[in-house]
Amino acid sequence: MIEFEGVTKQYGQSRALDGLTLTIPDNGLFVLVGPSGSGKTTSVKMINRLIEPTSGTIKIDGQPIDQMDLQTLRLNIGYVLQNIALFPHLTIEENITIQLEVLEWSKADRQKRARELLTLVNLDPDKYANRYPSELSGGQQQRIGIIRALATKPKVILMDEPFSALDPVTRTQLQDLVLDLQKQLHNTVVFVTHDMKEALRLGDEIAVMRAGSIQQIGTAEAIFNQPKNDFVREFFDIERQPTTLTVQDLVAADLGTVVSGQPETIATTASIKALAQALIAQPEGVVVALDDQTQRQLTTTDLTTLIAKRGL
Amino acid sequence: MMIQQIQQILTTQSGELLQALGQHLEISLLALLIAAVIGIPLAIILTAHQKLAEAMLQVTSVLQTIPSLALLGLLIPLVGIGTVPAVITLVLYALMPIFQNTYAGLSGIDPALKEAEIAFGLPRAKRLLRIELPLAMPLIISGLRIALVMIIGTATLAALIGAGGLGTFILVGIQSNNNALLVVGATLSAVLALVVSALIRWLGTLSFKKITISLAIFVGLFGLVEGVTRFQAAPTKITIAGKLGSEPEILMNMYRDLILADHPQYDVTVKPNFGGTTFLFNALKADQIDIYPEFTGTVLQTLVKSPTKTNQNPTKTYQLAKKSLQEQFKMTYLPPMRYQNGYDLAVSAAFAKKYNVKTISDLAAWNQSFTAGFDPDFYHQKDGYQGLRKTYQLKLDAKIMEPSIRYKAIADGKVDVVDGYTTDAEVARYKLVVLKDNRHFFPPYQGAPIMKESFKKAHPEVVKALNKLAGKITEDQMQQMNYQVQVKHRKARDVAHDFLVEQKIINK
Repeated sequence: MIEFEGVTKQYGQSRALDGLTLTIPDNGLFVLVGPSGSGKTTSVKMINRLIEPTSGTIKIDGQPIDQMDLQTLRLNIGYVLQNIALFPHLTIEENITIQLEVLEWSKADRQKRARELLTLVNLDPDKYANRYPSELSGGQQQRIGIIRALATKPKVILMDEPFSALDPVTRTQLQDLVLDLQKQLHNTVVFVTHDMKEALRLGDEIAVMRAGSIQQIGTAEAIFNQPKNDFVREFFDIERQPTTLTVQDLVAADLGTVVSGQPETIATTASIKALAQALIAQPEGVVVALDDQTQRQLTTTDLTTLIAKRGL
Repeated sequence: MMIQQIQQILTTQSGELLQALGQHLEISLLALLIAAVIGIPLAIILTAHQKLAEAMLQVTSVLQTIPSLALLGLLIPLVGIGTVPAVITLVLYALMPIFQNTYAGLSGIDPALKEAEIAFGLPRAKRLLRIELPLAMPLIISGLRIALVMIIGTATLAALIGAGGLGTFILVGIQSNNNALLVVGATLSAVLALVVSALIRWLGTLSFKKITISLAIFVGLFGLVEGVTRFQAAPTKITIAGKLGSEPEILMNMYRDLILADHPQYDVTVKPNFGGTTFLFNALKADQIDIYPEFTGTVLQTLVKSPTKTNQNPTKTYQLAKKSLQEQFKMTYLPPMRYQNGYDLAVSAAFAKKYNVKTISDLAAWNQSFTAGFDPDFYHQKDGYQGLRKTYQLKLDAKIMEPSIRYKAIADGKVDVVDGYTTDAEVARYKLVVLKDNRHFFPPYQGAPIMKESFKKAHPEVVKALNKLAGKITEDQMQQMNYQVQVKHRKARDVAHDFLVEQKIINK
């Protein structure tokens, strides 16, 4: 259990956190969500003392963290960064096990742990253990970022907007991975995001923040259905606003039938409203060109499948 | 022509070349090592103090802008001459690239990586050794490379203050107008720079661990070699130095042979091409050298305060120089050798025969304007051509020429008369005739060993050995010896030894 008790952070004249009081329960996925400047990143970085509060106390399992040994604290908290931040000169294995070096694990044990973790995220250890980060795709790199945070089997894992730099498809895959890992390992995950959709998808419990204080805490459903104030309602209104899905999203979700030698009848950038209108005019399907050779035929079924999966 | 000369230098002086190469490398690597030991940790410490680091960057940049010669000069009153000021100068120069690159490498690390290593609870040493230094390594290595190439280039100037190295060949080459020697020195220094630069580049391709191990081995070996060399220092140590040129080098070697003939167990070091008059004199004062040959005229004109700067009588000049040195500097000036090395006028043998001239008065007696090529200094000075003209009523059609060109001009018959020094090798080389200064216009310059009074008292046996040269060596003999070294490229050491044996001053 992580407790914030009246935590304030002052930067000169401005107050990044204003008397934050908050309890993060064990073994759940707790999401801090809010626009930039709301204090969510400041809060999470206080848990591993990258940022020290101006006043107030933070406790883990009842013990104030400023009375704990700093290195022990940090070695027992997993941390996933927004910029992934794999060490470019170390192999994947060395990246994953860098904290285990500090804990003086033997080389064989470290190797074993790295293989376990790679297998956990569906990356072949024989193939990836000795590669360097630059040889991996962005999504693969953040998988490594996540398992690096798991290396010491920490009880608490902090994730600071870990997927904001990834493309939507990869982001969805990694969100699934985080949900899956949390179910398997029962860690306490504190996840920071500015993306309301991500918050709703992941959070067992969500804290909506604004200007250094909490607006509402609750389950996704409670917050979505009973917003406590105008700010929370408006923040979620973005989710209620017309969808920005395009034909590209259908292609990315691997919908439609591959065809060839057909003239293009709709662009990949067209909105799904335009697609729906085109499908009324051409019920047999419209054609989108992927490159010079391949095209895909999209039908009304493809459109409804996407909406069923992603929502509007 | 030049290629043959270079080949000759490479075969006859290979020992000296190797020694100079070794010295050069030693000074350079020592300087690099010291600069790295200062620069890298300083950069590591200052990475956490940005303002101090900026100040330090300024300081190292300013050091870089001081001309190396000026820096060498500034250091002489503080640490004297020789290897120490040379290494200090090189270290100061090397600091900037090493410090700057290390600092840039460390402070340029992605802040996200720094946040990660801190958040993971890595201890300071682990962060530095496992993450930060390896990430900064490419820049650090390139800093070391830039520094070493610069050091090797600048180290050629070390010869000016007696630290030896390849610069000696360049200096002697310039001084004696021997382009082959200059080319050899400059080329070797360039090749050395390229080779070590390639070596460091190769080092940069290794992993951080291997780099550390290689550097440790290198430092260990270097320290071992230095230590062993220092440890082997022999009992009585005497250091003889001399100015740039073949003549001082021949004399130094004679001194050495004379001392060793009586006391073979002594450890006598000869430091040729040690720089100019003031350098040497200061080195003597600072006990960095024990003995060096100096001219009586130079003592009076440059070193001591004396009411009369010149005296036409050689014996009186010597007595005056000796007395002033003793009173003003507590130094001893041993009796001089026979020959005089001063300005003279020379004509070709054919000319001397045709016009029957043996003295300058003979030349003046001809009511005819002969052509003359004079060194600019000689032409303008009162104790040069201007005074000479009045004394002898000379009517010459005199042109100013570069010193190196004027001997060529007389050899090619372009001019009839040139100025020169009495013992110049060119007199023998071009078969010239030196005209007798029958009115004793030119001030006498006689060479003799100069040393501290304390040294004389401590080593009467050395004084005794050196005095065997008093009153010896004529101008012709000195010319011949200079000719052997400068033109025939024989070793000064051999020429000196052969002379002493021939003259039965020493046995064997």
